[in-house]
Order: sequence, then structure tokens, then C-alpha cells
Amino acid sequence: MKPLHLRVTPPAGAPFGHECSEPSLVLGRSRSADLTILDQYLSRRHARFFVDGDEWLIEDMGSHNPTLLNERPLSGPTRVQPGDILRLGATHVAIETGPIKTETHGIFKSALQVAAQQAVQEAQRDQPALNRLTERLKLLNEVHRALAGPISLEALLELILDRAFSHLKPEEAAILLKDPSGELARAASRRLPGAEDFLYSKSLIREVTEKRMAALVEDASADERFAGSESIEASGIRSLVAAPLLDSAEGCLGMIVLNSRLHVKRFAEEDLELLVSLASAAAMRIRNITLAEEAARHLVFEKELDLAREVQMSMLPREFPKRSEFELAATLKTARAVGGDLYDFVADGERLWLLLGDVSGKGFPAALLMAVTKTLFRALVQVEASPAAVLTAMNRELSRDNESGMFVTAFAACLELRSGELLFSNAGHNRPYVLRDGAPARVEEAAGTALGVVAGLTYPAGRLRLEPGSVLYLYTDGVTEALEPGREQYSEARLEACLREVATLSARRIVEASLAAVQAFSGTAPQSDDIAIMALRYLSQPA
Amino acid sequence: MAPLKILEETNGGILVVAPAGRIDAVTSDEIERRLLGLATAGARLVVDLQAVEYISSAGLRVLLRLAKKVKEQSGRVVLCSLGPAVHQVFELAGFLALFEIEPDRGSAVARLSGPGSA
Repeated sequence: MKPLHLRVTPPAGAPFGHECSEPSLVLGRSRSADLTILDQYLSRRHARFFVDGDEWLIEDMGSHNPTLLNERPLSGPTRVQPGDILRLGATHVAIETGPIKTETHGIFKSALQVAAQQAVQEAQRDQPALNRLTERLKLLNEVHRALAGPISLEALLELILDRAFSHLKPEEAAILLKDPSGELARAASRRLPGAEDFLYSKSLIREVTEKRMAALVEDASADERFAGSESIEASGIRSLVAAPLLDSAEGCLGMIVLNSRLHVKRFAEEDLELLVSLASAAAMRIRNITLAEEAARHLVFEKELDLAREVQMSMLPREFPKRSEFELAATLKTARAVGGDLYDFVADGERLWLLLGDVSGKGFPAALLMAVTKTLFRALVQVEASPAAVLTAMNRELSRDNESGMFVTAFAACLELRSGELLFSNAGHNRPYVLRDGAPARVEEAAGTALGVVAGLTYPAGRLRLEPGSVLYLYTDGVTEALEPGREQYSEARLEACLREVATLSARRIVEASLAAVQAFSGTAPQSDDIAIMALRYLSQPA
Repeated sequence: MAPLKILEETNGGILVVAPAGRIDAVTSDEIERRLLGLATAGARLVVDLQAVEYISSAGLRVLLRLAKKVKEQSGRVVLCSLGPAVHQVFELAGFLALFEIEPDRGSAVARLSGPGSA
């Protein structure tokens, strides 16, 4: 057996070295410990080193403030090696040299064996101690059994409060839990009738949750840890016990605290021990429940997002009219699950109305505004005479109470099927192209401000004639501003080059080929914005 | 992601903000948060866009909101140094008339220092 070399740094006084050649070493603040350390945060018998084969192991002896090995709570007997740092209460213990690393064959003593051994040892000295230990084991057994089945967080907290009341008889008990932002908030509490509402002092909460110390305050005014903290004194509280809810992965989840006026109940050390046990049983389960709830919430969100996408895509017509006068095709690729680009068309016997637009922003807000925009368009083409009038009316509606600053750029057009005459109006949207004899020409006319920004605008009216065979090509900035991995933009020049090549294809092929060209350009770069494309070819007058 | 900086400097009670890089759907949330935080009561702001290589519609929305909030706070905001690409986006959306715009930082500061400014 190799001796164990420790460097002990107690909270007060000088650090000292200790060598152990016995097979077991108990550390604590009691004189009955093998190594007594003056530290008020230590339990009487706090932790124990013991030999197993060639290894030194450390185990917690059920201390109030769990022993930390390299800042992590021990989950059972754990091997130590040189360089390890233990924290017991406010004392640091460094392992300076240790056992030679060899394969382990020994059987670890279970925590239960240790507890039983401890119980027997204590019972030999002290009958009341045995009674307390028995009560504590019974309570813990009860709690563990209750927590074994499925349980909600509320029910768990109620159960813990219930057991705390029945065994420790406080006037008030409260469980504080950290919310996602790390703030502590009261998650559950219970009071005896007539007990006053009690605000726990910040210094106590800090002591317990930040330093992860269980605390027993027998007389607030006399305890130096809380001297000067007015909230305790002002409330007339004389006795309280508190324990952190510690999780090995997440750290401190919160705390449980009991209080009573001193003449009603004076908490003692064994009450603290019991509360610490209760807190550790609760902490383990709280973490489980929280993880399960997070997973469930995430699933719901994903489902909602899928649903929103479905609803949005179903708002975009995917069937295009097959007519002798024109060919029409469109596509939309969203950058996120739901986006703000849109297209729509309404065809009647003599006219074809078109709309292609881009809502500023992304995600749900943009998708909502997109839905509103489309609905307005559908309603207004029934009553207004021209695209300019439609945009003027849409702007009036969208500008109303627009606090978010969101806006919509849109190009609206109306094709007279008899003549090929195209009326149009542009609300701050990318200039579309007319493909005539295989060459793209930008439509710069009739351009106004985006919709929803300035109330009361009148939108300009444009007019052009589509010769049979020529094409109107509409797109959103997701096309020209698409990025390749080197962060160069697709640009209008590349779009125009592409349009020259595809101009004579069918409307559907023009849409597909121009989208494919952008996607080929982007390569592995993620799509940064929605893409919408629409192509209309005028064929001939109706027969 | 392209680097993006918001430099802030005071200039005789006038705050000059100079975002850099791309203002698009990806970066606009952060820029919005920073810019709106500057729109305090009576604030006089210059947003210098010289180092902005690209602004998308999401970026335009941020500037609209800023202008709105500054106005509510009885302040004033002037944009300056729009590069050709940025200028084109403003022009396309029909936004040139919605903002006070100056060719450079000096004239923007002068505009806010002159008579009639808050």
C-alpha cells in the first residue's frame, strides 16, 4: 500500500501537509475524525479516503455540503490521483502523490455498506443517533420510491414540501428554482396558517446556491455569516435550514429552505442532514423532468413550424392555368422553414392578374405579413381597375398601425388577354424583365415606394405591350443577391446572361432553369434569402 | 460570416454610428438591437453607411424602425456615405425620399448642427 499525501488548506490558518499510511482516513470537524479540520462548513465526519487494492478512493460520508472532486460532486467512491483537488466545505485538499496506477480488481464498497457501517459505529456510541438514522433512511426510501414512477414537476415539488413538513415541522418551506435565464424564482412553497410571508435574504440565497453550501442558521442575529443582512433580522426569523439542489451535470438547480420562528421550532444539525438528503433526491429527479419537458416543447415547436410551412405553401397556387393565350409558371424556395416571398395570380375570362412580392424580414412575422398581403391582393383585384390602384389600396391597408417597420416590395401586373397589353405598377420591387426576341430588357417604369411605409401614396401606372412569344420575368432579390461560398453575389449581370440562354424555352422551363442556375452558382453556400420566380409568356389572342 | 462592426463616436453631442459589412436577414437582428438602443430622447444620430457593402430589405427595415423611433423621441437621424450598391437598394425600394441623406459624414454632421436641428 502506498501512503497518501495530502495538502490541506483550511479556511483559516496555514495550509499543512498530511501523510496517511493507514488503510482509511476520515476527515471532518469532529475530534472523532482521523484528520480534524477547523471548518464550520464541514460535517463532523465529512469524507473518507480508503484503500482498495493499490488505489486510494474518496467517498462522501453523507455530509451536508457534498464533497467536490475537481469541482464535481462525488457520485460514489471515486479513485483519486495526484493533482486532484477536493473541496470539503470551505477546505481544499490537494492530492500530492498517490498510488501507482494499476488495473483494479477490488469490489467497491457501496454507499449503502458505508452507511450501514456508519450506523453501526454510531449506534455503538449513541442510541438516539441510531433512531435518527433509521428515520432518515425510512424517509429517503419513501421519497425514492415515490420518485421512481412518472411524476410532474409540480407533483414532485409538492411531495418534497410535504415530506419536509411532516418530518421537519417548519412554519414555512419553499423551493426556489433557477429559470432559463439563471434567475432564482419561487417554484413552490407552503406555510402553516398564520405564518407570515417571508422574504429570504440575498446573502442566504447566495451562500446556498453560489457556494453550494447547506446552511443551518440557529439564530440569525448571532450568525456571522448573515450579520448585517437586514432582511433576516427585520422579519423576526430565528431559525432556518437551507440546502442547494445540486445536479452533477447542471450544477445548482435551486434550493430548498425551511424556516420557523425560534420559539416554534429550532432546527438542529440532524434536520439539516435530512434536508440535504431530501434535496439531493429531489435534484436528481428535477433535472430528469426538466429535460423531458424541454424535449417535449422542442417537438411541439418543430411541429408548429412544419404546420406553418404547410399552411404557407398551400397559400401559393401550384397549379397553373393551361390556356391558349398564355403560359404561366412560378416557384418559391424559402430560406428558413417559413419565409416572406410570395406570388399569386387571378385569371378571369379577359384578364390575368399577377403579383410577386417580398416581405422584409423572415420567419413567422414575415410569413404572417405575406399571408395578409396575398389576401389583400385577392380581394382588391375584384374591385380595383388597375395594378396601380390595387397597390395604392394595399399600401393604405398595410401602412395602418405598422409599428414593426415591416414592409412589402411588390410588382403587380394585369395582362389583357385580347391585346397582350400589360398594365403594371412597381412598389419598390426588383425591376422585372421582358424577354423579347431572346434578349432581356429591364422594366424601369412606374416604380414607387415599398408598401406599408408611407400612408396615402398613389402608385404610378405603367403600360407595355407583350408581343406574342415574349415573356415577362419576375423575381425577388433572393435571386440576384444569392451568395456563393466566396460571398460574391449572383448579380443582375449573371441573371441577364442566364435569361438570354433560356428565353426561348417554355415559361415553366425558364423558371426551372433560372432557379437551377442560381442554385448551381450558390453551390455549398447556405441560401440566405427566400427566392421567388414567376414567368409569363403571352402566346396569342384568344380564338 | 463577414465581419460586422458598429463603431460609435460622439461628435459634439451628435452620435456617429458606422455599421460595416453586410446588413441582411442574418445580421439585422443584432444591428437593430444596437441601433434602437441609441435612439434615446432627443438623440441626434448619423448613420454612416460607407463600410456597408450590402443591405437587404431586412436592413432597410431596421433603418426605417430607427427613423421611426428617433422621431418618436423627438430626435433626428441622417444617413450618409451610401456606396453605389447600397444606394441602388434604397432607390429600388423607393426609400431615397424617406430619409435625410448626405454624401459624406462631414455634411451629415453639419446638417444636424445647423439651424432647425433638435
